[in-house]
Amino acid sequence: MMWLSGGFIFRRGTSVYHRLDPRVKLLNSVLMFATTLLVRSLYELAGVLAFMIAVAAVAKVLRRVSRTMLFTAGFSVFIFVVNFIFQRNLETSLLYAARFVAIVVSTSLFFITASPDELEQVMKTFRLPRDVVFAFVTAVRFIPVMFLDTIQIMDAQKSRGLELEKGNALKRVRNMIPVLIPLVVNSVVRSGELAEAMESRAYGASQKPTSLVEYKARTADRAVAAAAVILFALAAYSFYFVFPARIL
Amino acid sequence: MHENGVRALDGVSLKIGSAETVAIVGENGAGKTTLVKHVTGLLKPAAGDVVVDGQNTRTTSTAQLSRKVGVAFQNPDHQLFSENVEQEMSFALRNFGFAPELVEQRVRWGLELFGLEEYRKSSPLVLSGGEKKRLTLACILAWDPEVVILDEPTVGQDSIQKEKLAGTIRMLTSSGKTVVVVSHDIEFLWPMQPRVVVMKAGRVLGDGPAAGLMQDRALLDSARVAQPQLVEFFEHLGARPGAPFADPLEARRWAEGTSK
Repeated sequence: MMWLSGGFIFRRGTSVYHRLDPRVKLLNSVLMFATTLLVRSLYELAGVLAFMIAVAAVAKVLRRVSRTMLFTAGFSVFIFVVNFIFQRNLETSLLYAARFVAIVVSTSLFFITASPDELEQVMKTFRLPRDVVFAFVTAVRFIPVMFLDTIQIMDAQKSRGLELEKGNALKRVRNMIPVLIPLVVNSVVRSGELAEAMESRAYGASQKPTSLVEYKARTADRAVAAAAVILFALAAYSFYFVFPARIL
Repeated sequence: MHENGVRALDGVSLKIGSAETVAIVGENGAGKTTLVKHVTGLLKPAAGDVVVDGQNTRTTSTAQLSRKVGVAFQNPDHQLFSENVEQEMSFALRNFGFAPELVEQRVRWGLELFGLEEYRKSSPLVLSGGEKKRLTLACILAWDPEVVILDEPTVGQDSIQKEKLAGTIRMLTSSGKTVVVVSHDIEFLWPMQPRVVVMKAGRVLGDGPAAGLMQDRALLDSARVAQPQLVEFFEHLGARPGAPFADPLEARRWAEGTSK
């Protein structure tokens, strides 16, 4: 599970895609997300997913995106089963299940290629309140820390004879209590300590703190953004006017 | 072996006997905690084998191994979760299926040993850092494992508690237990005169009795391990004619009044 969930965590990279302006990366992900909502058949969705995989290959994060897809597979199966029970339509159920995977991959592509610092800058460009930006970025930044905490807590409890994988489903859930309680307590304590540390370093003292980074779009960024918008328009046009709708 | 291809441990070959006290020292990232996690089966070796009391850790679960190997991890906040100290201490005992009267006996023994009786009904989460650390040690010793591994046991402990801890380690060794201490606290380790394993970048640089190894300045410098102050003092003193003691251990024994 830990290995799979690692597919959502940012790691520094040197690919062309990593070097793009974070606003362009966000635009790409938003457009890919929107495209997955526009598709009306499995063929179209397969095309969109293939495009996302190509982007992942350019960004050299193909293995991590495959982890993301595997991670979502369980939820995707659940979506398929629920839809199939209520709609009795195999193709629609498959479309919804696969669409969920595509949606997660589109957002994951942004989060695994944009650092928390870049995310912060992007949010600032939308003029969101500083506290909101800080809270969101801090939450993202602490995801890997919480994963590490979880692993260490599981190690500590397993060393005291706790068998996490033992027993039926209910027993396994109960086995997680010794892991979840320290995790939650640590997170609460850490957030309190972080708040004190931030305040002691003058957080909130100025209405307009100095920003060390100012993003300026390069020609390559503008070209990628323009290409993304054109591709999106073409995809939307073809879904509705070129190919007849197969589903819905 | 890490996901990125880095070898966390490389060419490590150690044999630790029963009733032995072993100190594992080295700078941060040297592989000390990784090494002890292999002993408990939490990590499996990519190559080679780790055998604990005849059991290969590849084929034995951590839960099974933990009956023989007790580990007190560095951060006590990573294991405390129960409603009160008593329940926290009995957690592992209940996991191992101890009889209720034995659980009660072991809990009482552990609380007394570490001076935690007054907190028996308190939440472990409200204890101070040092008390939490002592509680985790008590939790491990409660089920009487053959091998006791202590990861940075002196962090947050005052000098009196450190002395008590050193006494507990001596008591464990004299009762036939194997004790492995991972620590940066050389001043705590040196008086116990353990076998010392010096690690750097996943490799064992040196392995031998503390008396000799702690005088090997070049080795310690290369592993970025501090020399005990008394040993360092004697290095300077030894160069002078008519030095009153032959070695730092003799001086310590004299100071403690245990010299013959």
